[in-house]
Amino acid sequence: MGAGRTVDDGTIVRRVLHGDVEAFGELVLRYREAFGRYAVAFCGDADVAADAMQEACIRAFDALATCQHPDRFGAWFFRILRNQCHNHRTRQRAHIPLDTVTAAAPERTEARVERRDLRDQVERALRHLTVEQREAFVLRDVEGHSYAEMAELLGEREDRLRMRVHRARDAMRRELDGVHA
Amino acid sequence: MPDPSAWSQDAHRFLDGEGPPPADPVERDRAALFEQAVRDWTHGLPSLDERIDAGVMAALRGRALLRADTWWRWLLEPRRVALRPALALAASMVLVALSSAVTVVLRDRPAVAPGAGTSGPVMTGTVLVRFELVAPLAHRVTLAGSFNAWSDSTISFARSSTTGAWTVTVPLPPGEHQYLFVIDGERWVPDPAAHAQVQDEFGQTNSVLVVGPRGVVRS
Repeated sequence: MGAGRTVDDGTIVRRVLHGDVEAFGELVLRYREAFGRYAVAFCGDADVAADAMQEACIRAFDALATCQHPDRFGAWFFRILRNQCHNHRTRQRAHIPLDTVTAAAPERTEARVERRDLRDQVERALRHLTVEQREAFVLRDVEGHSYAEMAELLGEREDRLRMRVHRARDAMRRELDGVHA
Repeated sequence: MPDPSAWSQDAHRFLDGEGPPPADPVERDRAALFEQAVRDWTHGLPSLDERIDAGVMAALRGRALLRADTWWRWLLEPRRVALRPALALAASMVLVALSSAVTVVLRDRPAVAPGAGTSGPVMTGTVLVRFELVAPLAHRVTLAGSFNAWSDSTISFARSSTTGAWTVTVPLPPGEHQYLFVIDGERWVPDPAAHAQVQDEFGQTNSVLVVGPRGVVRS
């Protein structure tokens, strides 16, 4: 998250705190790109993720003076974004019609699974994970973060996160098996 | 006894990118298929529209960036200082001089009396508290709180011509105080740096500041 940058996060944060509001735009760009896919994958909907990202950016700006380690703005911002994703996803889930979360129709389950079908099944299986499992799975298997990076972002121990990812994969396997059986 | 509905440890290591594919051919094929499916799903995810950036910045230009009391928070923050023994005595003398200077400044400086907005003597038993706020686009900033009957016109911030920050120093009696920043006479906003926010009976979120006899305890 730092390669190729001419100005580091800490410098930008200090500029903003000294009144250069426009400098915050660079942080918005950086972390919309860095964490955008996480938000979409976690929320399960691009519009919901966009709302969460915008809200997170505005909240981060409002609370910027409380960022105690400006050089680690990314990890600090991630936690704000994560909370927003949780909130927006909870609101969204209340409005998801039941038929969109049920398993594939029985007559399709005997058929050869095409890649597109399998992708849809991954999406469905993800919806059955707990919030913690989904988050861990997205960061590890979708975003490709190492366990050390996840520990930094989530403030959890690596061994616990590894266990969470494994349980998420196991749960997905069972969901996929349920679809395939 | 391994759980047949769960991935084997070999499969987890493979999916973690920390080991070769599982030796068992059925498990290997399943793991490879799973990995491919997740990769396909990931590639199919839409990216967030870059127009979000412009939307966020448009929203922020109308907002104030709040930064209350950061200077004294820095002073109060515990920090470790390593000194060579030869310099310790000189350094300790400098530190004593500095702390005295701060005390003198606090005692001699005319304070803003609540309700006045200008200057006046420091009241006995009060502590000077400095509020600072960065609001580049604001035209006027005032402080309203439980200490001035929530008046939005009695304690005005002054704007620094060099930093653009709005500041005001207020003598407050020990105890818990609630406050809000009032920007351009219209926007009443809490201080996001405050240690606590409370809801009042009108549903408004107020910031909380705790002042002890010898200084600010929590902000």
